[in-house]
Amino acid sequence: MDFLNLLARLADLDTPTLPAAAPRRTALSQLGKAGTALLPALLTGLALPAAAAAAAPQDTRTRLDALRLALQLELLENEFYSRALGLVTGFSAVPFSATEKTALQTIQRHEAQHVTLFQRLITDAGSALEPAARYDFTGSKNGTQPALYPDIQTNPDTFLQVAQLLEDAGVRAYKGQVEFLQTDAYMLEAALRTHSTEARHASHIRTMRRQRGASVKSWVSPADASITTPGSGAAKVYEGEDNATQYVNIGTILTKVPFDSTLPINVGTPALTAAQILAKVAEAFDEPVNAITATALLQLFTY
Amino acid sequence: MSNIKHNASDDAEFAKPLYTPIKRRSFFMYAGATAGATALLLSGCDDDNDGGNPIPGMVNVGAGSVGVLNYAYALEQLEAGFYTTLRSGAYYMGLAAGSAEKQIMDDLYYHEVIHREFFKAALGRDAATAKITDDLKPDFSGIDFGIRVSTAGAAKLGVLNAAKAFEDLGVSAYNGAARYLSADVAGLNYLVAAGKIVSVEARHAALIRDLISEGSFVDSDVVTTGTNGLEISKTPTEVATMANNFLMAGSKLNVSGLV
Repeated sequence: MDFLNLLARLADLDTPTLPAAAPRRTALSQLGKAGTALLPALLTGLALPAAAAAAAPQDTRTRLDALRLALQLELLENEFYSRALGLVTGFSAVPFSATEKTALQTIQRHEAQHVTLFQRLITDAGSALEPAARYDFTGSKNGTQPALYPDIQTNPDTFLQVAQLLEDAGVRAYKGQVEFLQTDAYMLEAALRTHSTEARHASHIRTMRRQRGASVKSWVSPADASITTPGSGAAKVYEGEDNATQYVNIGTILTKVPFDSTLPINVGTPALTAAQILAKVAEAFDEPVNAITATALLQLFTY
Repeated sequence: MSNIKHNASDDAEFAKPLYTPIKRRSFFMYAGATAGATALLLSGCDDDNDGGNPIPGMVNVGAGSVGVLNYAYALEQLEAGFYTTLRSGAYYMGLAAGSAEKQIMDDLYYHEVIHREFFKAALGRDAATAKITDDLKPDFSGIDFGIRVSTAGAAKLGVLNAAKAFEDLGVSAYNGAARYLSADVAGLNYLVAAGKIVSVEARHAALIRDLISEGSFVDSDVVTTGTNGLEISKTPTEVATMANNFLMAGSKLNVSGLV
């Protein structure tokens, strides 16, 4: 890394929002940041002990994979909203109301910001970005198979249905990746802060659909009218979301929480049945999906 | 501890781990920071020790994974208590049976009670943990349970204003506290569990905001729309300061162990 580039990076890290009397903790974090940026040069420039060399690639693959999955998701979402808003050449805007358009513009702006964030996290760690993917949100893989959503560029209801799929899937995908980022407090928090922003998007998209007459709550519920065909690729977005079994660690043993039997949560009039309580439990927890499932979902709209 | 806002993307990347055990696979991340950090640590005293309020009768949540669980349990007790109390208030009682808003308030009530019971189960059945009281005393005197949304300048919060405050606070609290979970099997389990809960809280928050003002689901007081599009997280100290406004003396939270 050349010296001017390093200085430029240090200047970039000197965020103007920090208070003038920056706490020592912040100063430490900036040193840490520069250390991260320098790391690839150090690693390639030095002969590593064999054990360290063997350990390093595994570490890189794990966290890098989590960041790359996040970036793939954000790139796809950004393109999805950009096309619907008429921001991409060759795609005319989907006819939304002014209120809907404003909300979607806000969401698109976040997705673009998330793209920038994860690109920076990846490149600052010295890793390369992957080639840009090609998207087909009709699900026809560029006309090579029947379209899943043929009117997505013209029908707001279809668009919002797919938006709900993508936002709910995104929330689940981030949830599945946080465990790979736990050892890095900064990346963990960045992922979690992205994750809850996506959850807010998902909630609003669902509210928009409800305002258009769809039977759907702002959280994932067994009571939602299904928007996927059982057994289809898209159905994986909601597979397992109806889970009502949660576990806590008692010592080293995972123990099921007895929501439906002993807990004092049933005070409604009339009282809820056990099945109705479990439906509330299912709503109260969003479930993760792993990288394989998340990638398969992204594949529905890429070719 | 310092009142650091976590709204810049470069905050605190290396601060905490400097004095916690480092796994070998993380070693190279720290190598670049060590020399400078050492100099800084030698140059002055730690400012992290003044977050604990020594007032007797505060509820100390503790440290580490148990501290995070107690902290979450306290916040969920507060939220569940709020939705429980509102069910006997004039606003809720006046909602038409089968109305959308009644269904929403019912769902929120059940979700928050379920979250509370989850953390109670996580803490209460393990003799090795130090669970806080199951009976935190809320102070909802600043909320008018007969008013849906308060007018600007009103002395008390309306029900939806208070719901917004609690839901937003919950999301920012989970996002800011995940880093204090231990890096062991139980800590990882609770990281995933907290993730399952926080997104539901975020969905709640967005809907409540939209009920108050359509389209305010990600306003700039909760998401940094002007910069990186991230939800603003809060430190336990920041959260406790706000939560303690809704807790009686004797039930106010001491989170000095979560630093």
